[in-house]
Amino acid sequence: MATTPLSKAAGHGGHHEVKFNHLFGNLLALMALMGITIWASYVNFGNSTINNLIALLIASVKACLVIWIFMGVKFATPLTRLWVAVGFIVFILMFGILGDYATRRFEPTAGWEMNRPNDGGTALPREWPPAKRPEQGAENFRPRL
Amino acid sequence: MAAIADAHGHGHDEALHHQFEDMDQQNEAYLVGMWTFLVTEVMFFGTLFIIYTLYRSMYQMDWYLAHEALNIPMGGVNTIILLISSFTVAVAVRSAQRRERNLVLWNLGITLVCAFAFLGIKGVEYMEKFQHNLYPGPEFGRHPEYLHGAAPNFAQLYYGLYFGMTGLHAVHVIVGIIVIAYLWVKWFLNAKNVTLDYVPTEMVGLYWHFVDLVWIFLFPLMYLMPKP
Amino acid sequence: MSSIPIEKGLENSSPHQREPANYLTVDWSLKSWLTTGDHKRIGIMYLISISFFFLLGGISAGLIRYELTSPAGRVLESETYNKIFSAHGILMIFTFLVVAIPAVFGNFLLPLMIGARDLAFPRLNLMSWYLYMIGGTLILGGMINGGVDSGWTFYVPYSSMYANSNIALVIVGIFFGGFSSITTGINFIVTTHKMRAPGMTWFRLPLFVWAMYATSVVIILGTPVVAITLLLIVFERVFQLPIFSPELGGDPVLFQHLFWFYSHPAVYIMILPAFGIQSELIANFARKRIFGYHFVAFSTLAIAGLGFLVWGHHMFISSQSMYQGIVFSLISFLVAVPSAVKIFNWTATLYKGNIRLTSPMIYALSFIGLFTVGGLTGLFLGSLGTNVHLTNTYFIVAHFHYVMVGGSLTAFLGALHYWWPKMTGRLYNESLAKWNAVLVFVGFNLTFFPQFVMGWMGMPRRYHYYYFAPEYQPYHLMSTAGASVLALGLIIPGFYLLKSLANGPKASANPWGAHGLEWETASPPVTTNFEQTPIVMDEVYDFDPVLEHEQAQARKALEPTGYEGYEPGALAEPKKDESDLGGKS
Repeated sequence: MATTPLSKAAGHGGHHEVKFNHLFGNLLALMALMGITIWASYVNFGNSTINNLIALLIASVKACLVIWIFMGVKFATPLTRLWVAVGFIVFILMFGILGDYATRRFEPTAGWEMNRPNDGGTALPREWPPAKRPEQGAENFRPRL
Repeated sequence: MAAIADAHGHGHDEALHHQFEDMDQQNEAYLVGMWTFLVTEVMFFGTLFIIYTLYRSMYQMDWYLAHEALNIPMGGVNTIILLISSFTVAVAVRSAQRRERNLVLWNLGITLVCAFAFLGIKGVEYMEKFQHNLYPGPEFGRHPEYLHGAAPNFAQLYYGLYFGMTGLHAVHVIVGIIVIAYLWVKWFLNAKNVTLDYVPTEMVGLYWHFVDLVWIFLFPLMYLMPKP
Repeated sequence: MSSIPIEKGLENSSPHQREPANYLTVDWSLKSWLTTGDHKRIGIMYLISISFFFLLGGISAGLIRYELTSPAGRVLESETYNKIFSAHGILMIFTFLVVAIPAVFGNFLLPLMIGARDLAFPRLNLMSWYLYMIGGTLILGGMINGGVDSGWTFYVPYSSMYANSNIALVIVGIFFGGFSSITTGINFIVTTHKMRAPGMTWFRLPLFVWAMYATSVVIILGTPVVAITLLLIVFERVFQLPIFSPELGGDPVLFQHLFWFYSHPAVYIMILPAFGIQSELIANFARKRIFGYHFVAFSTLAIAGLGFLVWGHHMFISSQSMYQGIVFSLISFLVAVPSAVKIFNWTATLYKGNIRLTSPMIYALSFIGLFTVGGLTGLFLGSLGTNVHLTNTYFIVAHFHYVMVGGSLTAFLGALHYWWPKMTGRLYNESLAKWNAVLVFVGFNLTFFPQFVMGWMGMPRRYHYYYFAPEYQPYHLMSTAGASVLALGLIIPGFYLLKSLANGPKASANPWGAHGLEWETASPPVTTNFEQTPIVMDEVYDFDPVLEHEQAQARKALEPTGYEGYEPGALAEPKKDESDLGGKS
C-alpha cells in the first residue's frame, strides 16, 4: 500500500484535500441551520411569504455549504464551477413557466365545486372522488400500461 | 509532470485509460462528466419543484392543512441522518485521496448504514400514510381526520406530489446504496481501479451529496410549511 | 503479425501490400462489436439501428399519406389512424431525428475532428447505445401491442386518464431513449472540453464540433425535463398519483408547459447538428473558408441558449396567458436571427467559391433553400395573430417537415454521402447519388408544398377524414404523389451505398480533397484514429485559392469514370502515399 497521498503523487496535479476539521465544522453548521429552519417554521413572522422566504433562504445556504465544501467546488476548476452555475441558472429559468399563471386567472375545473357537497366543510366519508367511470372503484383498478 | 513517464508521455499509472494522455486529464474529465450528470439531475428534480411551487401557491390553505399529517420529527431525523451520511462520504473521499483504506471502508460503511436508516424511516412513514388512506386514489380520505380539514381533491394533489417527489428521491437513495455498496466491495477487495485513483470514490461522493441536496430542499418544503 | 485478417484476393500478395487492420477489420466477431468501446463502431451500430427505426417511421408515413388520398379514408379505422400518426411522430422524433446525426456522425467524427483517440467515456458510449436499443425495443413493443393514440405530444388529461392504449410502455421506452441521449451529450461535452489535440483551440475547431457541443448542452439541460414530465403520466396511469388531473385541481396546461420546455429545445437538438454538417459541406465543396467563422460559432451557441426561452409558441391557443404569449412571440422572432445569420454566412461562402456539385453538395444546397422556407414559415406561426388561424392545420405540418426533413434529414443524407468513404473505405456511384439527391429534392417539395396551401385554406392536422371538405383532396393527392417520389429517393441510397460495400473501389484517406483532421487519417481509420497525435497549427478551412484553381484545371482534364465527384486521388493505391492534392500538408 503506497504511503504517498495521491495529492502529492507525481502526475496528479496536487488535488486539494479538504481538512477534516473543515468537513466536521461544515456538518455542525448544517445541523445548526437545520435547527434554525425548524425553529423558524414555528415562529410567525406575520406574513407567510416571509416564512417561506426564510425557509428557502436557509435551505439555499445549506445547499451552498454542501456544494462548496462537501462537493469540493471550492477547489474545483472554473469549468466545473461554470457547469454548477449553468445548472442552477437554467433551473431558475424554468420558473418562467409560472409567469403564465401569474398573468392569468387560473381556476380549478368548475366541476369540483359541484361535486363537493356544501355542508359546512366536514369531510365525512363519502364517495370521494366521485366515480365518474364504472371502473374507478378500487377493486376494478388495474395499472394501465 | 509524471516522473515515471515513458517516451510517449504516458505514465505507468495503471489507472490511466487509453484515451487519456495523463491522470490529470482523466481526473478532470471524470469530474466534469459527473458534474454534467448532476446538472441533468438538477433539471430532473427541478421540474417537480416547479410543479410543487405552482400548486402550493394556488392551494396554500389546503396544502397547509394536509401537510399536518406529516411527521416532522421523523423528517428531521431523516435530515440529520442524511447530513451525517454526507459528512462521512466526504471523509471517505478524503481518505481515498490519502489512500487510507480502513478509513474509507469505515466511512463508506457508516454512509450505507445511514442510507438504510433513511429508507427505513421513510418506509415507516409511508406505511403510516397507507394505513391512514392518504395515498391518492379511490380510497383517499376514508379517514378524514388525517386530512385535517383540507379539501380532499387538493389534498390528493399534495400527496401525489409528496409520494412522487419523496418516492423519486428514495429511488435515487436506493441507486446510491447500490453504487456505494459496489464501491465498498471494490475497496474491500483492494481493486486497483478504485485504490490507485481516488476519482471513482469522489464521483460516488458527488452523487450522494446531490441526493442529500435534494432532501435539504424537500424537507422544509414538504414538512415545514408555514400557515398562510 | 499473422493475426491480421487478410483481405480476400490478397492472400498471395506480399506482406507489405496488405493493409493494416482498420477499426472494421481488426476483429470480425459479433462479441467484439457488442462489447466495443470504439466510438467508430458505436457510430456504425447506431447507423444500423436508426435506419431500421427510420424505415418503420417511413412506413407509417406512407400509410398516413395513402389514407389521406380519399376524403373518407381508405383502409384504416379512425382509431388506428391516430395510432399510425402517433407512431410516425414518436419513431421519427425520438428514435430517429434526435439521435441520428449526433449519435452516428457525432460519435464517429468528434474524436477524429479534434485529434483524440476516442471519446472521453467509451464504455458510457456503449451504454448509450444499449439504452437506445432498450428504449427503441420498448417503443416497438408498445407499437406492436397496439400503439398509442395520443399523438407524440401525449397531452393530458387524455393520455393520463382516458386513453386505453399502451402509453406507459411507450413512455418508458422514450425515457430510456432520453437517457441514451443524455449520456451521449455528457460524453461529447467532456470530450470537447478535455480531449482536443495540441494546438486545437476552440476557434480552430470545425464548425461541426461547435454544433455538437451546443447540441449536447441543449440535450443535457432539456431532456431530463421531458423525462420526468412523461414519467409523471406513467405515475398517473400506473400509480394513481394525480399531478395534472383537472378534477383534483391540477392543470393540464402545466403539462404542456413542461413538455414544450424540452420539446422546443429538442427541435434545436435536431437541427443544430444539421447546421454543423452544413458548414462542413459548404466549406469543403465551395473550396473556401467559411465566411464569418466566429459568427457561425456564436450563433450556434445563441440558438442553443435562446431556444430555451421560446417554448410557449407551441401553446398560443392553449389558454396560456396572453401576456406570456406576447413575450414568447417576441423571443421567437429573435431566435430566427442566429439561424438567418448562418444562412447568410453559407451563402456568402458560396460566393466566388470553386463550387463542386457533388452529391453531398447538392444536399447542402437543397438544405439552404428548404430550411429557409421552413424557417420563414415559422415566422408566420410565431406571430400571434396568424398563429390562431394556422395552428393545428397542415401549415404547421408543412413547416416542421420543411425544417426537419428538408433540413435535418437532408443534412443527414449529405453527411452520409460525404463521410461514407471515410467510414467504410469505399466509394459509391457518384453520378447515381447526384441524381438521387435531385430526386429527393423534387419529391420532398411535391409532398410538402401543397400542404402549406392546404393548411392556409384550413385543412386541420391529425384528421383521419375530411369528407365534409372534399376540396382538399387534390392537395392530398399531390402530397401523396410526392411522398412516393420521396420514398423512392430515400430507398435508392440504401442500394448503392450497400453495393459500394460489396464491390466499390477502395477510398484513399481524402477522396474529396477536404480539410479537417478526419481526412488526415486512413479510410477507414485505425482503431486509435491516428498513428500519432496530430498537432494543429492552422485554422480548419484554410483553402488556398491558387491551389484550388490549379486543381480545378486538373479536374477538367480527367476522363469521366462515374466517380468524378471525387478528387483525382480518391482511389486508394496501396503503394503510393495519399494524393497530395488538397488536404493539409
